[in-house]
Amino acid sequence: MIAGYAPEFVIGLVVLVAGAIAVAFPRPNDYLTRLINLEIPAFGLLLVMLSYNEALALLTFGAISVLSTFIYVRVIQKKEAVA
Amino acid sequence: MDEIVMAAAAILILIGMTAAIFSRDPFDKLISLSILIAGVFPFIVNRGLLDVAIALALIAPLSTVFILMACQRRAP
Repeated sequence: MIAGYAPEFVIGLVVLVAGAIAVAFPRPNDYLTRLINLEIPAFGLLLVMLSYNEALALLTFGAISVLSTFIYVRVIQKKEAVA
Repeated sequence: MDEIVMAAAAILILIGMTAAIFSRDPFDKLISLSILIAGVFPFIVNRGLLDVAIALALIAPLSTVFILMACQRRAP
């Protein structure tokens, strides 16, 4: 694609940067929007890891990303129950 | 043949990313995120990492379910 880089590397970097900007400045300035936007750079990083052929890193990162999402949702529910 | 499929998957990723960033409703964002995830899978299969593709296909929808739990609590 671009100067010998793998296509998933380039697409992963684009998704990573755009998703990070979307997480930093969410449009409805809201924690739920920020949490959903947090999934976008995770998949960008997954694509970058894929271009290095690291199968174990991909498995671990996918599982831990879902686990951290679960923990964030639990924290949000506790916070809304208190407020 | 392979290049056409990979170009289609790349277009799918870019469309999903743009729609997920610029849509405002949380449910619209989740649907667009599923489009992005669907575009990631052909790249994993193209590298030959079928075990990673199986595990990710089982694990990735769980995060959608967890975020739906947060959306449901928030809806009036």
